[in-house]
Amino acid sequence: MSEYRHPAAVRRVLESMVAVICPPEAIELGLAPAIVDHVGLTMGALAAPFRLGLIAGLLTYDAAAMAWPPARGRRAHKLPTALAERWFKLWLHGPTGVERQLVTAIKQLLNLAHYEQPEIQQRMGYDPQGWIEKVKQRRLDHYSDDIQKHQQSLVSPDPLVKISLKAKTKEVA
Amino acid sequence: MVAAVRPAPPARPSGLFTRDDVHGDLVLDADVVIVGSGAGGATIAAELAEGGLDVVVLEEGPYATTSEFNADASAAVRKFYRDGGATLAIGNPPVLYQEGRAVGGSTVVNGGMSWRTPEKILDRWWREAGLDGIRAKEMEPYYERVERRIHVRYQDPETIGVDNALLKKGADAKGWKVIPNLRNQVHCAGSNNCAFGCPTGAKQSALVSYVPRALHFGARLYADVKVDRITRHGKRATGVVGRVVGPTGKSHRITVRAKLVVSACGAIHSPALLTRSGFSSPSGQLGKNLSLHPNTKLVAIFDEPVRGWEGVHQAYQVREFQDEGFLFAAVNIPPSILAMTTRHYGHELGELMRDYDKMVVAGMLVEDTNTGRVVTVAGRPQAFYQLSDFDADKLKRGVALLSELLFAAGAKKILLPFEGVGDLNGPDDVRKIFANPVPKSTMEVVTVHMMGTARMGNDRSSSVTDGFGRVHDADRLMVCDASLFPTPIGVNPMETIQALATRAAAHVLDNIGSYR
Repeated sequence: MSEYRHPAAVRRVLESMVAVICPPEAIELGLAPAIVDHVGLTMGALAAPFRLGLIAGLLTYDAAAMAWPPARGRRAHKLPTALAERWFKLWLHGPTGVERQLVTAIKQLLNLAHYEQPEIQQRMGYDPQGWIEKVKQRRLDHYSDDIQKHQQSLVSPDPLVKISLKAKTKEVA
Repeated sequence: MVAAVRPAPPARPSGLFTRDDVHGDLVLDADVVIVGSGAGGATIAAELAEGGLDVVVLEEGPYATTSEFNADASAAVRKFYRDGGATLAIGNPPVLYQEGRAVGGSTVVNGGMSWRTPEKILDRWWREAGLDGIRAKEMEPYYERVERRIHVRYQDPETIGVDNALLKKGADAKGWKVIPNLRNQVHCAGSNNCAFGCPTGAKQSALVSYVPRALHFGARLYADVKVDRITRHGKRATGVVGRVVGPTGKSHRITVRAKLVVSACGAIHSPALLTRSGFSSPSGQLGKNLSLHPNTKLVAIFDEPVRGWEGVHQAYQVREFQDEGFLFAAVNIPPSILAMTTRHYGHELGELMRDYDKMVVAGMLVEDTNTGRVVTVAGRPQAFYQLSDFDADKLKRGVALLSELLFAAGAKKILLPFEGVGDLNGPDDVRKIFANPVPKSTMEVVTVHMMGTARMGNDRSSSVTDGFGRVHDADRLMVCDASLFPTPIGVNPMETIQALATRAAAHVLDNIGSYR
């Protein structure tokens, strides 16, 4: 993973897209900066060519809005939400696969980041770590002997030569 | 100012080294060097080390302990999946594929399904690829050995959650064959975290089974090492050269000189490693014949609480249509990943996700009939794969059948993995799947089963390796992963890889004189 940090221009576009792509609670709870930070973590794990493609695509998405008459010369991140939604839909249903794939990828990254926010998971009643702790303990309470026995077997000698001969015998038979 | 106190890292087993241990260029000598520590690499490493050989394993991914695995799904994907899980086979539709990248390889993040290769597949390999000693009866001792080591068992009943119970209920209602899954686990707790690392250590991934065994018998394992190429003298492999970024951020070279080189880095990376090292196959088949068991998923919404994250992943498989080439299972996924893969966004997504705790995510695996290829560009592999019309139809039929099953279990609404049909609001809607055109480009297809790019065979003109994974037209070079499969196998591939690795190890030990 690289130590990726969003360039300021990329961060601006992404923050503006939170209002369009994420459920409304993202804005209500003031989560846009945290969501964009999370997108940065994901982008850091991507292959460099993919990451560079996304950055170039986002900057193009932002700048291309200036040539769109309803935007009146403004970049995408400067558009009011209603116009920003129209601009996003234009790309999502755009005539070329490249436009569609770019905004689909951005949508995926932002939605992943939205539902990774602890506040959102808490609101949903989603507590997988609580479940893990509970069943981890249950397993240890009930099955410690079996667990230990298997761990011991993992380091007990069991030479392979025996079975290679056994397999050969079966082959001949 | 308060000094930051970093918790001490967990103690590492003897023989396991990470980037923190490498402070300069390293040259190692060994009998065998193995590239990759997953199902193939760790298994053959343990067997050869126990057989008395000096084994070095190089793994590109990091080393993590069970205590480091938790419910933070996206952190796990970033750390333990290659390229953050965003790897794509180019085609129509593009296929998102995922590979583990960690000590233990993909076994660390797989679902833990342990099935023997179906008998009909082994018969086909014997018949069509001319592989001797590969039929079910001959493979049985290897399967038995693997199953003992990774503790293949049925799930304890108390760990089966509502989502899996509903899948079974639907299959039973339809009168379809549904079987409990065999899994490599020691009393799996049902934490539903398989794909992000087992937080209890119950899943017997290579990380907690074959790797400790290999180390116990004297193998050395270096994590965080990217292997650049296999070194060679003419047609003979002589070792590998790789690099590791040490604790100071400086890159160090690692050279391993060995009498036998084993490539076990999976069906995408093994052909790339061989290609960039200058090995080719006289058959021209290296990198070709990529099969990938296309997978897709449905989301079914029920009235009752399901809480799919509470209980084991894939407790059952619906096998009614195995002869047609598809399987069904319940595969809960975290809300973030589910949200990422739906077509919804904004307010509509928020409304949909309100019902997350009432969702059953069910997946299907298709035994594919088409093949793709892996091309090595500037040393990096790029996969290409075209879903055939036949398989696309099969996928549609599977989705329709799975929808019928979920409605029979009580689902109220089903979200489909393609566009052009809309959501299904009852069993009568299932026919819409066939009444409307479904463009292949809108099909959501993913996979974690890549196979076949260095296929085994007796005939050098149509295969890349012999029946033990020895590369034709090369000396002392083996492949030991799913690249070897002559055909897709229609079930989860881990145990097949491990059984073939065990068999390959037996072959090496039986012919040890050739490798001295």
